[in-house]
Amino acid sequence: MQRRTFIQSLAALAAAGALPLNISQVLADPANAVSVEALPRLEGELTLYLGRGEGGLYENVIKAIEDRNPDLKLRIRRGPTASLTNAILAEAKAGVRRADLFWAVDSGAVGMVTAAGLAQALPAELTGQLRDEFRFPDWAPITGRIRTIPFNTERLTADKIPNDIMALPDTDYSVGWAPAYAAFQSFVTGMRILEGDKVTAEWLTAMNRKAKKFAGELGVVMAVERGEVDIGLANHYYTLRLKAGKPDANVDLAFTNNDAGCLVNASGILALKEGELPANFIRYLLTKEVQSYLAEEACEIPLVNGVLPPEGLPRLKTINPPQIDLTRLADLRPTIDLMRDVGVL
Amino acid sequence: MTINGFKRQYLISLLTAATLFTAPVTFANGPVGEHVNHLSDNIETYSQEVNWLSTKVDEMISRYQQGGVEEAKPDLLVEYWEEVKFHSAIETNYVPVYASIWQGLFGLKGAIEEKASIEEIRKQQRFLEQSLWQALGAVKLAAQYQEKGLTDKVATTQANPGNSLEALDAIKSRLDRVVAKYAEKLSKEAVNIVHDTYLNLFEGVEGELISLDADLVEDLEKDFNVVLPQAIQNGKSIDEVRDIVNTMKGKIDTAHSLLEKSAEERKDVF
Repeated sequence: MQRRTFIQSLAALAAAGALPLNISQVLADPANAVSVEALPRLEGELTLYLGRGEGGLYENVIKAIEDRNPDLKLRIRRGPTASLTNAILAEAKAGVRRADLFWAVDSGAVGMVTAAGLAQALPAELTGQLRDEFRFPDWAPITGRIRTIPFNTERLTADKIPNDIMALPDTDYSVGWAPAYAAFQSFVTGMRILEGDKVTAEWLTAMNRKAKKFAGELGVVMAVERGEVDIGLANHYYTLRLKAGKPDANVDLAFTNNDAGCLVNASGILALKEGELPANFIRYLLTKEVQSYLAEEACEIPLVNGVLPPEGLPRLKTINPPQIDLTRLADLRPTIDLMRDVGVL
Repeated sequence: MTINGFKRQYLISLLTAATLFTAPVTFANGPVGEHVNHLSDNIETYSQEVNWLSTKVDEMISRYQQGGVEEAKPDLLVEYWEEVKFHSAIETNYVPVYASIWQGLFGLKGAIEEKASIEEIRKQQRFLEQSLWQALGAVKLAAQYQEKGLTDKVATTQANPGNSLEALDAIKSRLDRVVAKYAEKLSKEAVNIVHDTYLNLFEGVEGELISLDADLVEDLEKDFNVVLPQAIQNGKSIDEVRDIVNTMKGKIDTAHSLLEKSAEERKDVF
């Protein structure tokens, strides 16, 4: 019997109460993604604050978890990630805690909560399921999204796109961007961390002269596709989803190299309440089933060891993202100030 | 910090947290009263209010005939309307007619201010009264449904949609509110609703939708970001703005069908 199969069998027995093992013992060394079949049933009450995003797909995941665990009473509060972050911080200041879990679409929001010391430490074998660069002691990234440069394929080829994001202002290409968009602001925060405020301000100023603003990044990608601009700045999945709906779309993706232009940001979850139940809920999100589902349906990047993205999705080993502690993306206020100072916002 | 100071700070923080958790819905003229959840108990009041409004409009037109604009005091029309409870009953139940009432109020007010002929004034009065009675009919119908438990409790606190289909339903309601705010002459607020609806609702749906019908998303992107805001900012007529919104609502219905079908065909998570 292979080790992984053996572990799953043990887990199934433990879940059935046949062995006096707890989940930490069962999953002491999960080198790869765990199947939902190996997880214990969830029993008890939890309140989840759920940041809005990805249409109904996160909701589908939650419903599937609820269906599988009839003895779990899950209360959900939904809202924009930024609002829920503020609510958690305000509640903590008032000495109350309403949320047991916070699933945010942006790791910067997670960083604000962890920086306030509100997140509980997660079991090492839980975070150990994640790829090395996505292991944090008090939160778990769920899926990744890569910053990319979508380009119009009728005008350009990938080799014509600079592999250095800082070189973009020196090109003749017209650019689409969405500065009011949270993903863009996290990217600028990443640039501030890597390059410093002065260089970032110069880059924004130079880009602002040639960039066309859009409300959202799907709008950016669509503008690239119809040739309104040559290239854009956007998360990877907008292009992939557009191509899914329009296979002959005139757009493809280019990646920069080891800079903020190919930053891998992540959605993530943290527990505000101690105990096995919140941690076990998080385990469900790291199962190979959930990771594969979100990769296939939402084009998000799986972050758990051993879960391969479906064909067509960029693989992390084929790009060279910068090494940034994602929770540092919480440092958003100076980013907004800087963008306002240079007239981008 | 003194103990009292600490307590006060604590209470302020607690209230802030509570406010963030359940923000009361505030429409144009203050918070919605709980009466909207007990429509049947208030139908008589609403009927009296509509009659009262009709009388006030009649009196205003008589004053106009006798003493012109100064005697008529057309500004009072908006005050009368904002005074009645019926206002929030229709606003929370059937926003399209709510918009027509505002259109009628401002139509009549404008006609008086422009010293229009009595025929034109009467025409505006008829439009307003039709809208008011139509609204009362809608509220009566809503009251029947409410009594039978067929309608959700009217939210006096804001709720967030739980999935893409609910988000699309919420988008249609918000688009109706855009027309209502525009009819209220609150153009800036109308445009803000368009932008908020795009960023907080449509933007969460379009990623899923684009893989099903890219052209539809492209159309709606343009509607949200160019066509509708520009129509408002350029001062198009209420009927023109309403036509744009109705076209958008048709596209949202198409999106609803596509997402519903896609959800049926989607693989299970586990």
